[in-house]
Amino acid sequence: MDDRITEFARGLRAAGVRVSVAESADALLATRLLGIQDKETFRDALRTTLVKEGKDFPVFDKLFPLYFGSGGQPLQDATEDLTPGEQNMLQQALESFDDRLQQLLDWLTSGDGPTPEELQAMAQETADRWADSPHKAMWVTQSMLREMGFSQLEQKLQELIEKLQQMGMSQESIENLLGIVRTNATSLREQVAEAVGLEVQRERSNRPSDLNTSDIMHKPFGALSEADVERLRIEIRKLVNQLRSRVALRHKRGKDGRFDPKGTIRANLRYGGVPVELKFKRNKLKPSLVLLMDVSRSMEPVVEFMLRLMYELNDQISKIRLFAYYADLTELDPHIATMIGNDQVDDAFFAIRHIHPYQPYATDLGNGLETFFHKHLNAVDGRTTVLFLGDGRNNYNASRADLIKELQRRVKRLVWFTPEREIQWFDGDCDMHAYEPYCDSVAVVGNLAQLSAAVDNLLTS
Amino acid sequence: MFKDIADVRKGLNQQQYIASQEISTVVFLSQNLCKPILTEGPPGVGKTELAKAAAKALGRPLIRLQCYEGLDESKALYEWEYAKQMLYTQLLRDTLRGILSDTASLTDAVTRLSAEEDVFFSENFLLPRPLLTALMADEPVVLLIDEIDRADVEFEAFLLEILSDFQVSIPELGTISAKHEPMVLLTSNNTRELGEALKRRCLYLYVDYPVFDEELEIVRLKVPGLDQELARQAVQTVQQLRRMDLRKVPSISETLDWARALIAINARQIDEETLANTLTVLLKYEADVAKAKRMMGRGDNPPRRRRG
Repeated sequence: MDDRITEFARGLRAAGVRVSVAESADALLATRLLGIQDKETFRDALRTTLVKEGKDFPVFDKLFPLYFGSGGQPLQDATEDLTPGEQNMLQQALESFDDRLQQLLDWLTSGDGPTPEELQAMAQETADRWADSPHKAMWVTQSMLREMGFSQLEQKLQELIEKLQQMGMSQESIENLLGIVRTNATSLREQVAEAVGLEVQRERSNRPSDLNTSDIMHKPFGALSEADVERLRIEIRKLVNQLRSRVALRHKRGKDGRFDPKGTIRANLRYGGVPVELKFKRNKLKPSLVLLMDVSRSMEPVVEFMLRLMYELNDQISKIRLFAYYADLTELDPHIATMIGNDQVDDAFFAIRHIHPYQPYATDLGNGLETFFHKHLNAVDGRTTVLFLGDGRNNYNASRADLIKELQRRVKRLVWFTPEREIQWFDGDCDMHAYEPYCDSVAVVGNLAQLSAAVDNLLTS
Repeated sequence: MFKDIADVRKGLNQQQYIASQEISTVVFLSQNLCKPILTEGPPGVGKTELAKAAAKALGRPLIRLQCYEGLDESKALYEWEYAKQMLYTQLLRDTLRGILSDTASLTDAVTRLSAEEDVFFSENFLLPRPLLTALMADEPVVLLIDEIDRADVEFEAFLLEILSDFQVSIPELGTISAKHEPMVLLTSNNTRELGEALKRRCLYLYVDYPVFDEELEIVRLKVPGLDQELARQAVQTVQQLRRMDLRKVPSISETLDWARALIAINARQIDEETLANTLTVLLKYEADVAKAKRMMGRGDNPPRRRRG
């Protein structure tokens, strides 16, 4: 049983629920304490130790029956009530079908279905191919049932009835037989669905899952496949939680600010002015951010993950304003980040594209900066951190590095995230080399690992 | 100590707390695995009540720490009683003078005085706050950390140290370990996401609004004076209201308040007039009240409330 529970924990992990080793150890302890006789108690014990978030309950509820289910109703023996003569007739009638259907009908009539091992073997073959897309499990089940001959079942059952009638079996026996066969068919369907579900789940949990050590974190944004992106979307919440606890701990351990004379006098009035307690000004640690993003086509994945991180970490930021630049610069509704955080990525980009439609070679940050200075300069003051997210490729338009210089003078910190490596900054139309001297720091964010490290840095330093 | 799950259930029932199988299981596990319980759920479903009932059922004192934004260690763990220290220094001035009278230099005086320092940083001047009280208690206690989601992330990180080892270090006194490991319950209304590390250390319990039968039983138990049929109608109305798209749906405590209100006005049945008079007990927003009145007036089934 212990193995099954460990396997279940791995299955949960693969489905995006965060389960630590300590937690699966707790689950083992709990089940040892309570026993496994009562299924409800067993379930409650596993759930309370393994799942720590209400929104993960549906995943738990979906997976639990796969791992600890009864495996569907057992099949019944349909031939039990038949006379030996009738059993003979049935045997003869069955022999006229081809191999595959004969086996299916044999399973359904005899009550000896495929053994769990046989089912598993069949399911494994199908699951291997489909493990990447678990939401297709339904479809996989269907195709497997089709392969077993279920699609022709009704038709063949009619033929079987006719044959048995011709052979002279009584109507009552036939109906009896048919009833049991239909029930068996439903049970077998359930068994197959459960076996497929379990196999898909097993296959998924066998794939490498540790995000930090896997390649996917270090794969360049441009090279991510649709499936990779899908996986990163699930895993990004784990990443954010790590970031958040790290930031919180660092805030806690971080030094307090300067001595606060006013606060000290006020606090010590009750001791008759003897300075017993010293007060310090607290460093304002949560940055107020102005984020300017390049929304050209090549930047889309970076922008998406950046906004995801910003959405998830919004409690670590005191204020944020979003700007998008392409041919020109506009302010974005912060709701865009919420949409992306809630997996409505397509809608969010649709909204962005409505303002910034695709144009070839249109990026012009120089123009964008002018607009920013004209219209939105009130967004920044001496306490703002300005963050540029872009590759600095300006299509040979004016770079206007002088405006960047001016901006840096006005704000607390000017940070640049670019997806391109340093050697590319001088290459072709890239103006990164012109902007770089006026940035307080430049981070290369070619993949999610670098991006999260850069954001970590941004929030803590 | 609870013997088994059924015992937990019985114990809680005796304290007029209707515990589901799940709640009883989690409480039993918490006791035997020595792990805190983290309860989440909408406000007013009896999360705090669970701690109170558990404490009573076990016959242990309940120590409660209410969290709020800005709560820090000095409010949660301990504080030195500066005022008392100052007062004692004033009162003991003569004694101090006696001790220091034969010292020749300032250095000598300071050395002599620092030898006596321990007196002023002893348990006499220590003001234990809830967490330290729970650790230093001579008998096992139930510690309730209420609405942890309101406290800052920093405080949560600090709490981890205590919840994992049940010990704290006070620089002047050394490490204090719990004499008896307390049973710990944390509640959260989920206004912010709690840290992973904290969740990992806890057993998780999600308490939702009760289903019809459970709520009816709660009403019968807590407001025994209410007529059976009337209670049934009342609970039905509340359950119906919860399915509506309201700004604030009525909680169990509000159901109970309403039930008591129905007794107070001596209602015979829940008709439109009774409802109009007492609806403000259940609903706390003008818009909600208006909406509910419209719905009840029509008497048809409300559209299902969408859950986000």
